[in-house]
This record gives sequence, C-alpha cells and structure tokens, in this order.
Amino acid sequence: MPSYVGRRGIGYKTVSKEKFDLLQGTLDMLILKVVALGPIHGYAIAQRIRQISQQALQVQQGSLYPALHRLEKRGWLDAAWRESDNGRMARFYRLSAKGRKQLSREETDWQRLTTAIALILRTSE
Amino acid sequence: MNPFRFFLPKRRLNREFDRELGFHFEELVEANLAKGMAPEEARRQASVDFGGREQMTERLRETHTIPVIETAMANLRFAFRLMRKNPAFSAAIIFTLALGIGANSAVFSAIDAVLLRPLPFPHGDELMRLIQYKPKEKTLPMAVAPPRVEDWNRMNSTFQAISGYYTEDVSYQSGTLPEKVTRAWVAPRFLQVWGVAPQLGRDFTPEEEHVGGPSAVLISDRFWRTRLRNDSSVLGKSIKLDGASFVVIGVMPASFLFPDRDVDLWSPVAPDAPYANSREATWYTAIGRLKPGIKIEQAEADLATVQSRLGMQFPKTDAQLAVTVQPLKNEIVGDSGQSLWILFGSVTLLLLIACMNIAAMLLARNREREQEISIRFSLGASRRTIVGQLLTEILVLAVLGSIAGLTLAWAATKAFQTFTPNLPRVDEIALDWRIVIYSLGCALLVAFLCGIFPALRGTRGEIAGSLQRNSRTQVSSRSNGQWALVGVQVALAVTLLIGAGLLLRTMQELARVSPGFDPSHVLVFHISANWAETANMKGLTQRVNRDLDAVRELPGVEAAATSTGLPGVPGQWQVGIKVLEGQQDPNQKIVSDSRVVSKGYFDVTRIPMLQGKPCRDSVGVTNVVVNRSFANTYFGQESAIGHHLQMDATSFPLSGQIVGVVGDSREQGLNTEPMPTVYWCMSAPMPDPYFLARTKTSPMVAANTIRQAIHRVEPSRSVFAMSTLEEHLRDSFAEDRLRTILLTLFALTAVSLACLGLYGTLSYFVTTRRREVGLRLALGALPKQVASRFLFKGVSVAAIGCLCGLAIAAAAGRVLSGMLYGISRFDLLSFAGAVALVLCVAAVATLLPATRAARTDPMNVLREE
Repeated sequence: MPSYVGRRGIGYKTVSKEKFDLLQGTLDMLILKVVALGPIHGYAIAQRIRQISQQALQVQQGSLYPALHRLEKRGWLDAAWRESDNGRMARFYRLSAKGRKQLSREETDWQRLTTAIALILRTSE
Repeated sequence: MNPFRFFLPKRRLNREFDRELGFHFEELVEANLAKGMAPEEARRQASVDFGGREQMTERLRETHTIPVIETAMANLRFAFRLMRKNPAFSAAIIFTLALGIGANSAVFSAIDAVLLRPLPFPHGDELMRLIQYKPKEKTLPMAVAPPRVEDWNRMNSTFQAISGYYTEDVSYQSGTLPEKVTRAWVAPRFLQVWGVAPQLGRDFTPEEEHVGGPSAVLISDRFWRTRLRNDSSVLGKSIKLDGASFVVIGVMPASFLFPDRDVDLWSPVAPDAPYANSREATWYTAIGRLKPGIKIEQAEADLATVQSRLGMQFPKTDAQLAVTVQPLKNEIVGDSGQSLWILFGSVTLLLLIACMNIAAMLLARNREREQEISIRFSLGASRRTIVGQLLTEILVLAVLGSIAGLTLAWAATKAFQTFTPNLPRVDEIALDWRIVIYSLGCALLVAFLCGIFPALRGTRGEIAGSLQRNSRTQVSSRSNGQWALVGVQVALAVTLLIGAGLLLRTMQELARVSPGFDPSHVLVFHISANWAETANMKGLTQRVNRDLDAVRELPGVEAAATSTGLPGVPGQWQVGIKVLEGQQDPNQKIVSDSRVVSKGYFDVTRIPMLQGKPCRDSVGVTNVVVNRSFANTYFGQESAIGHHLQMDATSFPLSGQIVGVVGDSREQGLNTEPMPTVYWCMSAPMPDPYFLARTKTSPMVAANTIRQAIHRVEPSRSVFAMSTLEEHLRDSFAEDRLRTILLTLFALTAVSLACLGLYGTLSYFVTTRRREVGLRLALGALPKQVASRFLFKGVSVAAIGCLCGLAIAAAAGRVLSGMLYGISRFDLLSFAGAVALVLCVAAVATLLPATRAARTDPMNVLREE
C-alpha cells in the first residue's frame, strides 16, 4: 500500500519518509526503459517500476497515462490493443526506433548528471 | 499506431481512454483480491488507489489537443469579449466595411455586366449595327431597306455576314384567348450573324426563305416554357399567328434575348417577297458580324465603296445614302453608361471614405491600447502571441463586415434588377467574384494594415520607452495624420453631397415644369396588329377608327385618339418640311418634330387649341395642326392656317393643309423645351399606334371596360400593355430617378461615415487630453471654455474639409452638367445646402465628445496622478 502520493506522480521513499519529487523528465526515461524490455501495458509498467526499484519508486496512474500518451504522440512509443495474460484486452506499448534513440540519449544525460552530482557530494564531504 | 488518432472525435477518444484506464483498475482489483481482500473491499481499495478517473481522462485529453487550435480559440474568445466590451466601435467598423464592400461590389457588378463585358454571344465584339443615313440632310439614322441588306451582304468584303430584323406584335391564337406575342421578322443569315444555334431543332432552310416556301418559326425558350409547357415534341407542330399557321422548327436557347427580351418568335422574311423588294421602304434594323481582325474603320470604308457602287446602279434611291457602322454594344447600352460611371465614381469615393474611416478608427484604438500591449510585452508575452491576438481581433471584425457587405451587395444587385427593368442588359447583372474579391481585398487590406502596423510599432524594442510615452504625465499626442484623414473624408462627402444636391434640384425643377398637356386620367394601350395590314391602308384606317369609336362610345371615356408617340416620352422623329406656297428660302430649312395623331388627340391630351380647328378624320393626310413654336418660327406674323406642308424626302411622304394651331407642350420629355412640331392628322399611319383614352374616373378602373369593348368589335385581336400615361412619364425618368436616389444614398452614407470618423477621432483626442483638461479645470478654466476649444477643433477640421469639397465639386461638376435641368452646375442652393448640412452634422458629432471633456471631474484626474 503506497504511503503517500507524489505531486508529479512518481514518489520516492526517502530515508526521512518525506515526500520527494523526482526530476521532471525522469518518469519519461523510466517508462522508455521499462518499455524497452518488450511490449507492455500501463498497469504492468507501474508494477515493473515498483518491483525493479524494490518498492522505492511508485508511479501514479494520474501521471503514468498522460506520460504514455505524450510519449506516444512524440512518436517514441507505439501502441496497440492486444490480449493480456489474463485474457482481457489491454493497450500494449512498444518502443519505436525513435524512442530507442531517445532512451539512449536520456540514459547518457542521466549518467552524466548523476556522476556530476556524485562528484560534488564526494568533494563536499 | 493510428496516425490520425488525434483527429478522432472526442467521444471515441474518451471511450478509448476509458477502456485503457478500466483495464488498469480491474488489474488493481485483481491484485487486491489476490492479497486476500473481500471483493467489496478490493474494489474500494482499488478506487482509492486509482484516484479520480474523470480528472485523469481530462488530462489525457489535454495531451491530445493541438495547441495552435487552443490558442486560436482563446484569441477568438478574447476578440469577442473585446467586441462586447466596445460594441459601438465594432459596429462602426463592421458597418463601414459592409458599406464599402457591398456598395462597391454591387455597382461595379452592374457596370461590368452592362458596359465592360462583351455581349453574351460568341465573339460579341464582332457584332455591329449598320446604319444608313443621308449626310446632306442631317436626318436621324434610318432603317435599311431589305434589298439593300442583301446587296451589302453580297458586295462587301469585311463582314462574315450581314442580316436584318424587324419586330412587331402579333396575336397568338392557339390558346384559349388571343394573346399578344412579339415576333421578329428576320432576314436570311440572322442566326449566322449571332453565332447562336437553336437549343432544339434547326435554323431556317433556304426553301423557307422563299416566297411560297414552307412557313416556319423559331420560338424563344420562354415561349416554349410558358405557352407550350416544355413540350419536347414541339418540333414540326403548328401554331396559329394572326390567322395563319406556322410550323415550329426550333427553340432558341434561354440566353438568346434578341432584339430584346420580349421577343417570342422569329420568322424568316423571304428576300424575294414583293413587300421586301422596295428600295425605299426602309424597315430593317441591319446587323452584321465583322470578319476576325477587321477594324470598324475598314468596314466603314468597305461599305462606303459598296454604297457608292449601289448609288451608281440606283441613282434615285441610293445615291444620297451613306453607311455608318457602330459596335452593337454601344447601341444596346446607349446612354446608361454615363449614369453607371457616375455611380461608380461616387461609390469609389465611398470606398475611399470607408477605408479612411477604418484606418482612423483602428489607429485611434491602437493608440489607446499601446499601453496594454506594452505591459503585456514587459510581462513576457511573445511578439507572436500579441500579433496573433491582434490579427484575430481584426479578422473577426473583417469576417463579420465582409459577410454583411456581401449580403448587401447581393441584395443591391437584386434591387438593380427590380428597380431598373429598363436598364439594358439588366438580366446579366450578377455578383462577379472578381469584383467581390477586389472590394474585399481593398477593405481588408486597409483593416489589417491599420490594425497591425501601429500595434507592432508600439512593440518594437523599446518597451520602456513605450511605457514612458503612455505614462501619466503625458499631455498630448501627435494625431495630425488622423485629423487629415477626417478632413479628406469630409471633403469627399461634401463633394458627393453637392452632386446629389444638384440631381435632386433637377428633379425638383422638373416637377415644377408645366408640360403643356395634362397627363392625368389618360389610359394608354395597344391592340395587336400585323404589318401586312398596311397593304390595305383604307381597311387599316377603318379598323383603327372602328376600334376608336368603340372606345369613345363608352360612358366612362371622355375622348380617345391614336398617336405614334406618347406625349412627354422622348422619341424624336425630326423631319424636314417643305411649305408648298410661296418661295422658300433655300438656306432656311424647316425642321420640325413630327407626330402622327388622330382626331381627338388634343382633347385627350388637353393641349389647347389657339387658332383654327383640330384634326379631322381622313384616310391619308389631308390636314395638319402645328404648334405655336412652329407657327411663330416659320410664319412669323403671317397666319399659318391654310398653308400646305409636305414632308421632305422620306419614304413616308405625308402632306396636308394646316387647319389649326395648338399651344406648345413638352412632348419630347419634361426636361426638353417645346420645339416646333407638326401634327399630321391620321388615325392609322401604322398598324399598331398607341391608343390613348381620357377617362372620367381613374384610368385603370376603366381599363377592363375598354378591353371588353374592343373584344366585342375585334374578337381575334388582343389588347395589351395597358397603363396610364403618368406611369409612362415616370418610367421615362426611371433611370434619372434611380441615379438620383442612389447618389443621394451614397452621399448621405458618406456624410455619416465622415462624421463618424470625426466623432471617433475627437473622442480619442479628448481621452488622451483628459489629464490636461483636468488640470485646466482645476486651475480655474470654465467648462464652457474647455468644450468650445474641442468644438472649435472638430468644426474647424470639418470646415477645411468643406472648403476642399466645394473646390472639388466645382471642378468635377462638369461630369453632371448634361444631366441637370433648370439649374446651373454651380447651383448656390446645392452648394450651400451641402456645406450647411455637413457642418451641422459635424457640429453635433463634435458636441458629444466636447461636452464629455467639459464634464471631466478635476478631482478624479488629480487623484489618479
């Protein structure tokens, strides 16, 4: 059971147990990363992000779906109706070629950013 | 993915969102169930986790809207809000646009249809009218004798074909009652000249153009539709006309309306018929089609050679004749051209005024908004946003104005057709899209230029400067440009108003004229007849007298007569006259207007007898009556009575003895001075003269009684075109009246526009000087002084405009001089009246803002400081 709801929809459980918003754009990158593993529907994306982050990150539907549609509109994701594991029809998302490029760009940027932040944190210690 | 997903209708999109979110929700429920919750609890928990589904759908939809459209919608909403906030301004712009676009499109459409476009026939510019005349005698153009048309056609080298026609009214007897229809008798090659083929059937064959050949008739589309009910098997059927049968061989297209739109039938004249072989009986109107590339002068020279050869061959009849060639279009359009050009000139001035007005109003408004725009800039609005918004505002006004304008234009072209059925080619008037686009373009260009550029100027770079300019300490702003625009508007409006005034005064003068005859209580009508009746002139005269007597016997009729022309309706027949007694001075030619009238004419028209006796009945002419001008001009002190007159050298040589002298009357039109006139006494010079009856009561009340009386004596003839003489007189001035009404309308519109401009500009001027006025009032100025200062400003601009307008009108008055009657083109009353009217309206227009300025509360202004 989620203990809080982040303003931007993706919450991060901090040590101090206070609300914390992720950087804008991070959600997009996470979604692209999860979708890159194979066609997947919205519910599963939320589940997967939670599982992989070991319950640390929780995506709210209120953010997830607008983000998915935004990415689809930008041409980074393709969507199609398909039968899910339990036999119901679900909207499955798949990474497009453009999306794959975007993902690698964002990953590089992210790496660079975290490295930089880590360096700063280390020196100031 | 469906690339058109974003264009799916909203409902379908929503359904899809619902399905996707629904799936998620169900998954949540299932997960909760898997955790061991009770089904109800699982659902409740899922709803809590899921959050508001409606908001989510809304957010999804947002990601799918297109921002450009959203912005446009916002701009539109803003524009409409501004319109509601300032309805007077918006209405003024829309009204001005509508007038400019509407009036200009309508008048130019009329000009285009009547004057500019070629006649609606293939290569209409090649069509010519051929006119024979006698250069030595200065007689009016004469019709052409049928053999001469054949000679010209055979001998010329510049025409593809030459033909001729003649129209008369006949009685159509295949219906239940005899009805009058109009038939054109046409020479061979008639359709060849026009380049038009029947829509059904064929042209005449050579056999049908010979005496004794099969009788044939082509019928008009209208005749076919109204009288024969579109019968597609009409070809080969017979119709009965004046007792003879004619076989229908073809139906002409609906667009073929020649010689005029009333023609119902066309029949061939056999060139070898006895009645078509006199070189002296001139009754054809000759038309011809030039060979491609031939100029009119070449054709005239060619025909001159042909005619001189004919002159040698037939010295008696042809030696004195000359031929002139005129484009048929001029002939058809006639004098209407001048009226239309004047209307176009005035309507162009109106468009100019409208554009200036729009410019002045938008400039003023943008000045007012400069501060708002600067603030929005400094708050971070992009230039694009602001221009987009300003554009939208003007676009809304422009679109509304254009719609109103187009409606107006459409209504105006319809009005043209309703009010001027006599205008030539009026059926061809339709809104032409090129013209509409031209007018739209003019007005919209001005609107956009004036709406956008000043706004951009306010936004260019120096935001701070702009804010400063509009700061509170500002006392005045430059607005000379706007005042100049207003002044020019006033000048143009005064010019138009003076023109309208001159025409109005002309109408007034005409109404005051005493015509010399009494047009009230006179009924005018025709009785269908056939030109073949002229073969037996005695019989024809007896028939017409019989008809007249039948009318005279009626108790409601005071007098009845026939005449070749209507009194007061222009239609000259000027001929040379010889006095048979005494020695005539060969240098003094007697030229006089000639009218053929029957016994009773002077009783019907109430033209007073001055001397001698009125006309008597006779076959052929034996007695004539002259008017006072004729008697005074040609006989002086001597009594005119007893002299013998003879018409000089026409194909219709009348002669007779003068038996009486009557008073002068304006028979050639109310605006024409009486001229020497000879009345030849003859009841039936032609089969179809005008019948006139003076009735005791209202003429139209007697109409039916007269119709029945004639039906009793002439069961096979039809009575048609019944109307009053007064209506004919009105009709003969219909064009003048329409011209006057339109010009007056334009002038009044121009004046209102100019004063609207004056009002708007002064209001703006007052607004920008509010602080100055407040300070002055606070320092002890009297409200009266403040008001009179602004009043002076407005009225002085108007006065300068008036002066310029007077100068323009004095210079341009020549255009109208041919249309004036009884006044000079510098008519004091028109000039002074126009100026007085404009100054009065201008004073009222300036009074409102001026008093508003005077009522400024100084405390309010100072508090704002």
